[in-house]
Formats: sequence, C-alpha cells, structure tokens
Amino acid sequence: MALIHVNQVTKQFRKGAETITPLKEAELQIERGQFVSLMGASGTGKSTLLNLIAGIDKPTSGRIIVDGTDITRLSRTKLAAWRARNIGYIFQTHNLIPVLTAYENIELPLMLLPMNRSERRRRVEVALTAVDLVDRANHYPRQLSGGQEQRVGIARAIVTDPTVVVADEPTGDLDTETSAQILELLERLNDELDTTLLMVTHDPDAAAIAERRLKLDHGRLIEHAQAAAPAVHAGAS
Amino acid sequence: MFKFAPYLLKTLWRHRTRTLLTVSGSAVALFVFCFVLTVRQGLQRLTQQDDSVLIVFQANKFCPATSHLPQDYDQVISRMPGVRDVVPIQVFTNNCRASLDVVVFYGAPAEKVRRVRDFELIDGSWGEFESHQDAAIVGQALASRRGIQVGERFSVGDVTVAVAGLFTSQNRAEEDYVYCHLDFLQRTRGLDLVGTVTQHEVWLEDSANPEQAAAAIDEKLKSGQIETDTRTKGAFQASSLADLIHLIDLSRYLGWACLFLMAVLLATTTIMTVEDRIGEHAVLQTLGFSTRHVFRLVMSETVLLSVVGGCVGIALAVLALSQSALSVGAEAVTIAFEPSWDMVLTAALTSLVIGLIAGIAPAARAAKADIVTALRFSG
Ligand SMILES: Nc1ncnc2c1ncn2[C@@H]1O[C@H](COP(=O)(O)OP(=O)(O)O)[C@@H](O)[C@H]1O
Ligand SMILES: [Mg+2]
Repeated sequence: MALIHVNQVTKQFRKGAETITPLKEAELQIERGQFVSLMGASGTGKSTLLNLIAGIDKPTSGRIIVDGTDITRLSRTKLAAWRARNIGYIFQTHNLIPVLTAYENIELPLMLLPMNRSERRRRVEVALTAVDLVDRANHYPRQLSGGQEQRVGIARAIVTDPTVVVADEPTGDLDTETSAQILELLERLNDELDTTLLMVTHDPDAAAIAERRLKLDHGRLIEHAQAAAPAVHAGAS
Repeated sequence: MFKFAPYLLKTLWRHRTRTLLTVSGSAVALFVFCFVLTVRQGLQRLTQQDDSVLIVFQANKFCPATSHLPQDYDQVISRMPGVRDVVPIQVFTNNCRASLDVVVFYGAPAEKVRRVRDFELIDGSWGEFESHQDAAIVGQALASRRGIQVGERFSVGDVTVAVAGLFTSQNRAEEDYVYCHLDFLQRTRGLDLVGTVTQHEVWLEDSANPEQAAAAIDEKLKSGQIETDTRTKGAFQASSLADLIHLIDLSRYLGWACLFLMAVLLATTTIMTVEDRIGEHAVLQTLGFSTRHVFRLVMSETVLLSVVGGCVGIALAVLALSQSALSVGAEAVTIAFEPSWDMVLTAALTSLVIGLIAGIAPAARAAKADIVTALRFSG
C-alpha cells in the first residue's frame, strides 16, 4: 500500500468569470521512502499539487490519503494538527521567522507536539547536526547566507520526523553551487533517514537526483522514464 | 501559550518604536481615565456617606457665609428622640465658589471634634489644641499642599490660627479642612457672630430613620426665629457641590473618549502588525499552527500592549494623585482626589478589556486568512 494516494483530484480556481483548472482528475501514488521530483512549466499547478498533499489547501474534488488518513475530510483545525505531526514543508524562500534564531526556528514545530524542553533540545540538535549548522544555532536569519537559511528551513522541516517532506523549488533562489549543496543534503536525508520526499523544481539537473521523476502537463501527471537521466544513487537504493 | 512568550516578546522588541508609541498612547489614555475615575469616586464617597449624620442649615441659604442659626438650637435638637449628639459648627471659607484651592475653617467645640471625628494626629497634640483659644488642627492634605507645619501661624483673610496639630482621617476629604474653636471663629472676624452658627451636625442613634429625624427637626424649629433645612450629610454635600457634580458628570465622556482612543490606537497597531506578518502567519500555519494558535498569538500581543500601557498609566496616575493631594471644593465642601485600590483594579481590568476588544477583529482576520493565498502574495 502506497504512503500517498492522490485519487481523482481536481483543483479549480475562480478568477472573476474564468475558471482555471490546474489539476484535472490527477492520479498519483508515492511509496514510503521515495524521493519524487515534480517538474513542469510555470503555472501548470505544481505548487497546487504539493500544497494539496501538504494539507494547506483542499481539492475541488477527489481524495488524498496520506498514511491511511483522508486529509480532504479533516476540518481546518484537525488538518493543522495533522500537518504538525506529518508534514515537513520546505519553502522556496523567506520562510524563517526573522525574530527567532536558527535554533528557535527549528524548535517551533516541536512546540506543537507533546514534548518537554529537553526532548525538544535533543531533537533540534540532531536536526542542526544533520544540516551541519551546529555552530550557527544562535544566529538570526539575517546573519545567515541564503544557503544557510535554506538549511535551517530543511532542519525545521525534518525535526518532527514527519511522514512526508515536501519542498517547493527549494533551490529556486540559490546560486548553482549552493543549489548543489542543498540537493546533496536532501538526497542524503532521503538515503539516511529514509524520508519520503516530494520536490517541485523547474531545474532538470535538480530533478535528476530524484529516484522518480514526474512531469505535470495540462492537469495530468506524466511519469518520466527512469533511464533518461540515471540518478547517481539509483542503483544503490 | 507561554511557550510562545519569547516569540511574542521578540516580535514586540523588533518593532520597538511602534511598541513604545502604542504603550505610551495607552498609558496617557489610562492616566486620564484614572483621574476621571478618582474624581468620580471622590464625589461618590462624599455624597453617599454618613446616612446617620444630619446637617441642619438655614432654609433657602446655600453659601455657609449666609447661613446663620441660633447656637442654642443644639439644646432643642439634642432633646429630640433618636439624637445622640449635636455639634454646632461655624464655617468660614475663603471661597464660596468652585475652586481648586479652597481653605475651609470649621469652628466647633474642641472636645466634640475629638469625639465625633476619627482624626489621628500625626504631629502636635490634642492638649495643645484644646488648651489654646486660637489653636487649630490642620488636615494633612491641606498642610502638605500649603506647606503648613505645627507651631506656625496660618492665616486666610481675617482668620489667623496657631497650628497645634496635623491630622489624617479615613475620609480623605476631611484632610482638606482646618478645625478650630467655635467661639474663636465666632469672635475673630469682626462680625458679631457670637450665639450663631452656620450649621448643626446631628448624630443619630443607629435605630433612627434619617429622613424622619430630619423632617422632625425642621418641623420642631419651624416655630423658632429662623427656619431650617435639614438633610443627611451626603445629600447636603451633594447639593453644595451641585454645580461641580454637573461638571464631574461630564467628565464621564472624557473617560469614555480616552478608552475609545486607546482601543483605536491598539486596533491600528494590531492591524499593522497583522498586515506585516501575513506571510509569517501563513508559514506558522503551514508548520501546523491552528487558526486558534494564530488568533491567540495576535490577541496576546495586543493585550500585552494594552495592559503594559495601562499599568504605566495607572502607576503614573497614582503617583500624581498622591503627590499632589489635589482637591476641588465649593461652598465649604471639598472633594478629595485620592487614588484607591478600587480605582487601580477597575482601571487595570479596563485596560485588559480594551486590549481584548481592540485585538479581536484583527486577530480573527489573521487567523482566518487563506494559507495558500498568503504564501503566494508574500513569498
Ligand atoms: N490561490 C489561487 N487563486 C487563484 N489562482 C491560483 C491560486 N493558486 C494558483 N492559482 C493559479 O493556478 C495555476 C497553477 O498555479 P501554481 O500551482 O502555483 O503553478 P506552478 O507552481 O506550477 O508554477 C496558475 O495559473 C495560478 O495562477
Ligand atoms: Mg510554484
């Protein structure tokens, strides 16, 4: 049984008189531990799909089942609690709370879970180590480089040990070298922690590191042939 | 929610200019509100007290300078049923109209002053007061306002007294008066007032009905040389202060206006905060914060501002009121502006409520904002 079931999902937006349908009866299944990349032209609905799976948006019709829970049926409050436990969200940019240090930013999602301070500390330290930022724990976002900020964002997304981590163009705002570091980090997390990862990107090189590559086109998902650009670690896993 | 206190405080600190301005504005508003409350409470204390004490005044006279009753009315009154004690009082004031610095002399038999008033001498002695004709004891508030000390002489107009003591009283309004000997005040002013007094203060038995007793006194003295008008002390003081009461009643609107301004200020700040942080709140909700979390965060921020501002305003008001020993008087009755715990509590509670009211709409808006839309337009 797949971890994520996207079942006949349609999403429409109304803009005045016209209706946009970025997703039309989309079907998708993602296995536990898979690293999936999602490509597609700008405005095709990649973020929309990602947001639906992350539970911050609701489909017009269809069902999304994550780890046995039909999240399309949860109330807004229940959905928030579900996100706290099950979703790690990596944003493209501007996503850290500016008044909080790296440490406090990473600790934030743990505050929503039943956990005492020392347990939170232990988890934050593990996450900081994972992204190699232990020495920047007490820095504020403005004192960090773009790449470091993004690593804090990744640490914040994985610190609760969520069921799924989603990333919406995580390297979109970074230079090539930093992008490569971030991608390498994501790949490592998937390898070592067996994190299920769904990453939206418009960069084919970035997409290539995923073990499974999807393309969104006219509201439908197309599976990319694995052989087209073999990922480095594809054979290892 | 306490877990998020550092986040809250750091957010306020980041916008410290805005925070400071809002806190100052709230403080000023509550400072004025405290003054209004204090004045109203002072008035209330004055007009609602002493139901068992009656004041016998000359009928159809208002200023103490024009009321003249035979002193020996006290004999008649004291024989009436339900009367415990009668104190003949000559009143002299420097100003019959409403004023912020009224000095009022009460001339009464010295031993009666000691008996019927709850005065405690903080300086000087009763013996000094009772043994000298021109001796007087001065209320603490008046003394500190005018810089009066024991051993000095103190004059207003034709009246000069030797200060024999300073007193405090449970009733702060009393601390604005000077008490001297009745016959001294009757003699001292060139007028031939011997044998007449301004008013009689009648102390009733607990069982007596004040209204009936007052009517009985007026009825009894109707046949005398001068007609009287007897009321409870509260009612008497209320009528003396009638003009002021009117004014003080208007101050209610000043109080409401201050609270309204404070609410507007806090709401404006909160709306600004919320608009600044649409993206931040969307990020929080993405992480798993519920609408309730965001609502409470925004509310806490507003309430914190209003309560801190409120407390500063209250503290300043208490300081100003107790330092200045301010009072306002008319027709020889003064209202003391004395800060009370009651006022502090009311004001503190009010600031809390204002914060809640001001925060509720912006907080609800922040909480209900659509996450995806907020992320798209702020990211
Ligand atoms: N909240 C929204 N309101 C209206 N239209 C939206 C909204 N979100 C997305 N859209 C529209 O849906 C389409 C897909 O958007 P999006 O998923 O962000 O595309 P992508 O991430 O692939 O660039 C776009 O045409 C966009 O304008
Ligand atoms: Mg997008």
